[in-house]
Amino acid sequence: MTVRPSEGKRAEWRLGWLLCAPAAIVMVAVTAYPILYSVWLSMQRFDLKFPDEREFVGLSNYITVLSNEYWWTAFGVTMLITVVSVAVELVLGMGLAVVMHRTLVGRGLVRTSALIPYGIVTVVAAFSWRYAWTPGTGYLANLFTDGAPLTERASSLAIIILAEIWKTTPFMALLLLAGLALVPDDLLKAASMDGATAWQRFVKVTLPVMKPAILVALLFRTLDAFRVFDNIYVLTAGANETSSVSMLAYNNLLRGLNLGIGSTMSVLIFITVAIMAFIFVKLFGTAAPGSRDEGRR
Amino acid sequence: METRTAKWRWGLLDAVVVVFALFPVLWIVSLSFKSTATLTDGNFIPREWTLENYRTIFETDQFVRALVNSIGIALISTTIAVVLGTMAAYAVARLDFPGKGTLVGVSLLIAMFPQVSLVSPLFDIERQLGIFDTWPGLILPYITFSLPLAIYTLSAFFKQIPWDLEKAAKMDGATQAQAFRKVIAPLAAPGVFTSAILVFIFCWNDFLFAISLTSTERSRTVPAALSFFTGASQFEDPTGAISAAAVVITIPIILFVLFFQRRIVAGLTSGAVKG
Amino acid sequence: MVTHTGTWVRATAAAVALLLLGPMTACGSDESGVPTINFYYAQEQNLQKVVDDCNAEAAGKYRISYQVLPRGADDQRVQMVRRLAAEDSGMDVLGLDITWTQEFASADWILEWTGANKSEAEQGTLAGPLESAEYEGKLYAAPKNTNVQLLWYRTDLVPQPPTTWDEMIQQALDLKQQGKPYQVITMGAQYEGLVVLYNTLVASAGGHILNDDGTKAVFDEGAVRGLEILQRFASAGVTHPSFTNTIEDDARLQFQNGEGAFQLNWPFVYPAMQEGAPDLAAKVRWARYPGVDSGTPSKVTIGGYNLAVSKYSKHPDLAFEAALCLRNAEHQKFSAINDGVPPTIESVYNDPEMTKAYPMKDEILAELRDAANRPLTPAYQNVSTVMSATLSPPASIEEEKTAKELRGSIQDALESKGVLP
Repeated sequence: MTVRPSEGKRAEWRLGWLLCAPAAIVMVAVTAYPILYSVWLSMQRFDLKFPDEREFVGLSNYITVLSNEYWWTAFGVTMLITVVSVAVELVLGMGLAVVMHRTLVGRGLVRTSALIPYGIVTVVAAFSWRYAWTPGTGYLANLFTDGAPLTERASSLAIIILAEIWKTTPFMALLLLAGLALVPDDLLKAASMDGATAWQRFVKVTLPVMKPAILVALLFRTLDAFRVFDNIYVLTAGANETSSVSMLAYNNLLRGLNLGIGSTMSVLIFITVAIMAFIFVKLFGTAAPGSRDEGRR
Repeated sequence: METRTAKWRWGLLDAVVVVFALFPVLWIVSLSFKSTATLTDGNFIPREWTLENYRTIFETDQFVRALVNSIGIALISTTIAVVLGTMAAYAVARLDFPGKGTLVGVSLLIAMFPQVSLVSPLFDIERQLGIFDTWPGLILPYITFSLPLAIYTLSAFFKQIPWDLEKAAKMDGATQAQAFRKVIAPLAAPGVFTSAILVFIFCWNDFLFAISLTSTERSRTVPAALSFFTGASQFEDPTGAISAAAVVITIPIILFVLFFQRRIVAGLTSGAVKG
Repeated sequence: MVTHTGTWVRATAAAVALLLLGPMTACGSDESGVPTINFYYAQEQNLQKVVDDCNAEAAGKYRISYQVLPRGADDQRVQMVRRLAAEDSGMDVLGLDITWTQEFASADWILEWTGANKSEAEQGTLAGPLESAEYEGKLYAAPKNTNVQLLWYRTDLVPQPPTTWDEMIQQALDLKQQGKPYQVITMGAQYEGLVVLYNTLVASAGGHILNDDGTKAVFDEGAVRGLEILQRFASAGVTHPSFTNTIEDDARLQFQNGEGAFQLNWPFVYPAMQEGAPDLAAKVRWARYPGVDSGTPSKVTIGGYNLAVSKYSKHPDLAFEAALCLRNAEHQKFSAINDGVPPTIESVYNDPEMTKAYPMKDEILAELRDAANRPLTPAYQNVSTVMSATLSPPASIEEEKTAKELRGSIQDALESKGVLP
């Protein structure tokens, strides 16, 4: 069982630890206490306004939140926003990445302008959308409807999703672009000579090489999308049942000063995102970073 | 003839991309050039152009100082995060050692926890350590929360690099350093610069930590400073000035991306040919 | 590779160490030994001049340092709460939105005002704002400024301003029929502004949301009546299409764009209109906010800020003194004229300089003498969050059902039970 690792093996271990240590130390030092403290708070009744009533309540905060209607409405809204925006962004982002990668003219210009939306401060972008979609003050509302789209549920959600997609597709595209840059040209040429069509080359050669990049893009975009806050806060403030789970957490934690319930929501958001991440990692199998199998070509 | 049509086709696609990306940006630019009276007339192109909003933000040194803080903090955080991330990602992609899975797992967990509930405990810690409202007080969380993305991106790329090329180059007589510089570095570059761009934008745009972990102009970054702009009264948002500031702070991002995007090229062919 | 990483590790470690040891926080009183009074208050353009003035008057006894808080009310409150929860001794005088006073008092974060300080703070102060500074019969803050909404109307469309909601809705419908601008513009988004509107309706109908000591949700007949009027107003076809997504500045702009005949909003709209739409401003007059029953004048919800002294202050006596200076009659007048925040001391309104800056001061004062506060409870943020979520969108209110729902959820909110929407 305990086979003594060889000297070479142990040198490799040491190098591995040495290289990871700085990153690991910084991450753990900064987040260990805050995360554990939040988990601990989630098991207490703790309202800053009523400090005397603080007590340990076990999992009862979880029952309160999970049996609450607001929570599930917000959960559904958040899921919808996440699924739709990530799916659309993956397709759009891939297209964008191909253009950025392959274009014959104005590559610098395209790459740079495509990334600008991601660089704009979210709140400012959200305010500009709000103006744009408000009748009287904006060009879009006057163009597309004669009502006020931000006062109806369906159109509000559509606008929120649109704002998210516009803002974060560049994130997806950039990660995919870097993945495209790894596809060996000679492989593509070889496939081409074997008579593969452009689509076949894309599916058979490009996609497999890009798998790890796609996973990273999906993973980080999903966990970000599920925590959507700024756009909703500015565009509708949660009216007409457009609130997200992060807005609920914010309202309970920072407005209500109810650290117990607020932390419970944070932990639940965390668990949901972790489950989604787990599914992605399983789906992608060996393409996941750190997986045992070194499936290198 | 072939290439001419291809060029046209790409040019058209380029145009689509640029319009999709920049049209909403132009709306913000337009807001920043509108006078208070015409700010909300709904016209896409300002009826009367004014530099008033830009004058306002540069009137005091509040905005300039925030800009300096933003640039300094984002650059330092990006450098450190990318260096630490590269080291860790190299180990994750290339080496086999106990604890690797834990590192990868834990870093993802850190990226997943909602930051809104981590801010208050961080505030307490930073005050105890005396780094509240200082540059390190923001740099540390920025490094921490961008490391997971950096590690994941970089290890995904390092994994795809055909490291055997390094060996081949050495057999061709290149030294270790030459092999690294000529073969491995060009291949790793797209991943490294992609991470750098993403990390930089994350630090640049963060509002939550910036507003919670600073209290004066000494370390307040631009996104936080925007919420200290005053309108004519409690109820009026200085929309024009905020738009102008948003336009100004997008310029460094453009420069940063313009500078680094060149490095995201098909590294393999160029590397393999030259190696 | 190994040597490479070795250098990296060392360089990084050095860089991190340098960063950590670099700029350290400096704090405490300045070298001259004059105690510093840290004054946390929202950004107000000319408040620094008031601070300078008080520092000159203090003549070396203390020096007020104005620590600016961000624009958003939530951000202001969170920043102060975070410091108070950490027992930060670096805060002395706190600027509190009037609805936070009970919360801060109940959490034992601010000191009670007693003796001479108390009498000075109460001296000549209007009853409504003063009530907002009290908790369990004790005074916890000194009102700095107040605020109240008025009815703004177009004289070219409306010959006689309405005195009740029914009249106003009817006049708007008549105008609509004549094809003229007719809208009644006010705030209806899901946020504090909607609660302010509803609270005014309830108070004007003589109703109550909470009992007098703020511990029970009573939600009486008047409160139900308020629901009915709000619903009827929202569905009468007289609001702006964006009503349910409108906050203060949106309302002002809608009116400035010429879309309304009436606007219910704070006085800031007037100077803004004179600048942004001077032709329109010339046609606009103001009147008391409409009431519910004819013959019974409205009771209008007040806003504003109170000054409190932190429990963790190192110089509480000086902090009380500084707070009193910052809100004395002279400085209230200065802020009223330069920053547009109406005074809480009644006599200031009689000052001749006020007439020019506040042509509408008589109406403001009339409403203030008979004002309504929002529910006074430490759990106000909870109550408000629940109310704005339940009342939005106002057109879909169903009197009895909504009332029943609110009775339950407000009681839970008071006890901080359950989940906030």
